[in-house]
Amino acid sequence: MPLVVVFAIAGGLAVFVVFPLLSADSGAKETLPVDVTPLSDLRRRRLVAYENLQDLEFEYQAKKIALEDYERLRQNYRREAAQLMAAAQDLEHTAVEDNFIEDEVARRRGRRRLPAVESYVCAQCGFENPLPVKFCGECGSRITPRTGR
Amino acid sequence: MNQFGSVGLIAALAFAVYGAVAGALGGKFRSVKITRSAERAALAFGVMITLAVLALEYLILSDDFHNGYVAAHSNRALPLYYKVPVLWSGQEGSLLFWTWLLALYGAGVVWMNRRTNRQLMPYVVSILMGTGVFFSWLVLRVANPFTELALEGPNGALAAFTAPDGNGLNPSLQYPSMVIHPPMLYLGYVGMVVPFAFAMAALLTKQLGDNWIRTTRRWTMVPWMFLGAGIVLGGNWAYEVLGWGGYWAWDPVENASLLPWLAGTAFLHSVMIQEKRGMLKVWNIVLVISLFFLSIFGTFLTRSGIVSSIHAFAQSDIGPYFAVFLGIILTFSLTLLFLRLEYLKSENRLDSVVSRESGFLFNNWVLLAAVFAVLWGTIFPIVSKAVENSTVTVGPPFFNRFMIPIGLILLFLTGAGPLLAWRKTSFRSIRRSFTAPLILAGTTGLILLVKGVRDLYPWMTIFLCAFVAGSIGQEFYKGARTRQRAFGENFLQAMYNLTLRNTRRYGGYVIHIGVVLLFVGFVGQAFRTEARATMEEGDLLRVKDYVLRCTSLSAGENANYEYVRAALAVVKGGYALGTLEPERRLFKASQEMLSHVALHSTLAEDLYVVLAGQDQQTNKAIIQVFINPLVAWVWIGGAVLFLGTLLALVPSRVERELAHLRQQQEEAAEVIDGRSPGEN
Repeated sequence: MPLVVVFAIAGGLAVFVVFPLLSADSGAKETLPVDVTPLSDLRRRRLVAYENLQDLEFEYQAKKIALEDYERLRQNYRREAAQLMAAAQDLEHTAVEDNFIEDEVARRRGRRRLPAVESYVCAQCGFENPLPVKFCGECGSRITPRTGR
Repeated sequence: MNQFGSVGLIAALAFAVYGAVAGALGGKFRSVKITRSAERAALAFGVMITLAVLALEYLILSDDFHNGYVAAHSNRALPLYYKVPVLWSGQEGSLLFWTWLLALYGAGVVWMNRRTNRQLMPYVVSILMGTGVFFSWLVLRVANPFTELALEGPNGALAAFTAPDGNGLNPSLQYPSMVIHPPMLYLGYVGMVVPFAFAMAALLTKQLGDNWIRTTRRWTMVPWMFLGAGIVLGGNWAYEVLGWGGYWAWDPVENASLLPWLAGTAFLHSVMIQEKRGMLKVWNIVLVISLFFLSIFGTFLTRSGIVSSIHAFAQSDIGPYFAVFLGIILTFSLTLLFLRLEYLKSENRLDSVVSRESGFLFNNWVLLAAVFAVLWGTIFPIVSKAVENSTVTVGPPFFNRFMIPIGLILLFLTGAGPLLAWRKTSFRSIRRSFTAPLILAGTTGLILLVKGVRDLYPWMTIFLCAFVAGSIGQEFYKGARTRQRAFGENFLQAMYNLTLRNTRRYGGYVIHIGVVLLFVGFVGQAFRTEARATMEEGDLLRVKDYVLRCTSLSAGENANYEYVRAALAVVKGGYALGTLEPERRLFKASQEMLSHVALHSTLAEDLYVVLAGQDQQTNKAIIQVFINPLVAWVWIGGAVLFLGTLLALVPSRVERELAHLRQQQEEAAEVIDGRSPGEN
């Protein structure tokens, strides 16, 4: 009896394991999504730079570091945060331009392509969010992405 | 049930092989379907190994002495609470236990990363299951705990045999802390496979930013915490069971557990430099490889019997398999690292020698020196055997000669590191931060000199303990005072909020306090007093200000063992402290003798009494007494270390923000993909 049970469990698990290979799940994408995009990496690094600035401020107020160190480090961290912010903005613009170019190519080839910029137009304020977002960058309302024209 | 267990192991091995291959293919083709299938194989591996563990526990608890492992390591008279740990008391069972913990870690990693690190996960699963293949194969083919006993008949045919009773559990393992010490240690050893798997996945996918570092930091802290707890519990076991009055003897197996702990400590510090400054990327990969290598090496030392140790199991034949596996790990990981060197360039350079970064870097070098010193002393018997064909064992004097100065430098850095600012610290800042801790340390040092403490190492240790305590205390005090000024909180509120705002930092400081307490405990060994006497009823023994009077010598037995017991009434400074009853026990099943130590423990010192035997001529009891100052602080320090790590594991406000940002990105990615957020 125990042998029957263990064979049954192993068989059931084998089906469980191979099931994703056999299922025709058309909704799911075929390739693995990217873990870290250049933009998300820049945003995260910007957050770390802000956190460093906050820490620095706290340490100065706690009289842990001298004024000269505080001013020099603050300048460094601010410069770093500004550079990261500028780089993130550049990347966002590039993403918009890339979408525009891809749309043009698709249009000239006679194929209809849903422009990414139109997918994230806010229903409340009409702002065209340039990137995939959950909430509107202008008014903060929830965005429902449009999947068709 | 033996067949049930064996079939479970075969199925687990099959799932592990499938998971390793499918994971690699899923990563190679970036296929969602294959990756999902590989992840499910990791879960299936976990289920089958769990069934095998349950089968063995069933055999142990039901006294099935037809099973060879149960007959060798358990017996009918063994209390229930010692039957459960029989699982990890022998070679075969402990390797199964190792594999089970690996399966649990694997399932945990798959579950917690079901929506994150999607490109890393197939390779992570592949590495985890690759390790699973090795261990499940080892358990199945080389050290199978489901082997059935058989007797050879007169015609050479084997007939099933069931032993009437078992040999019993090793007496030295029949102790409460021994029930939790091995699982803690194993959770530490096994868990180090997770950071290794993520590091290799990052190398394979060329995603060598700090994403894998941030993901694995917690996966390193958890096993590091368990390893630390396991080491301290092991010390407690050695102290209370072995009867030699100490808790650490630089035994090879003790050293084996210390090595990954030291490497893990180095990694948990250097990881911060990569997160904050984008530096030390190659170094961090090297540390993770070392961590995993040393964990497997530790298991190898414990299980192969290649070096003599209190934990030595009989010479076994698993050594060569481990040697091959260790070779594969090193070759694979170092080759991969070499091929990816160009992706691991540092984003910044060291701005100044006097900075937090350089403090961490120095701490890493010293920890690495400690790893090499301990490793060299541990493997020296093997090296000497290979080179000169004679086994030369190095003892505590070798280790103490190197490790005491190294330990003191590390203790200094424990206090100095938190006082240094990132990037660069000016002399004025140093003067501001170091003054109060140094005044406290100097005052303590003067008091010690006045009290007559002149030996360099004990004096230096207490001096540095005061410095670190001052440094960490100052960090908490200044932080809390700043919050009081800024938010009008009372001091306790400010301390609470300060800690929760940055649990990682203040949890780390609590760990540093734990280290100070450990060193306070260590320094007590320098002031140890020892006495030995033969006693009979009515005899007195004076040791320092203690008086021990033997009130009785008795003998008795229970189902598990026979014992001889000495009852000693203890008086200190005119106050009766009660009666201590050390024993010598003869375990019936194994016919092994073991001392049962009697302790009177206070925060200041332990009175440690051992019944070492009976004088053959006079028939008097041989009583050994140790007065061990400050030992209790070792156990308290260990507990603080554990709690500090738990605190550091609590997500701080900043980490919650980062997690939220990451979740938003994932949901956005899923929306682009046409799926609703959360759908898997």
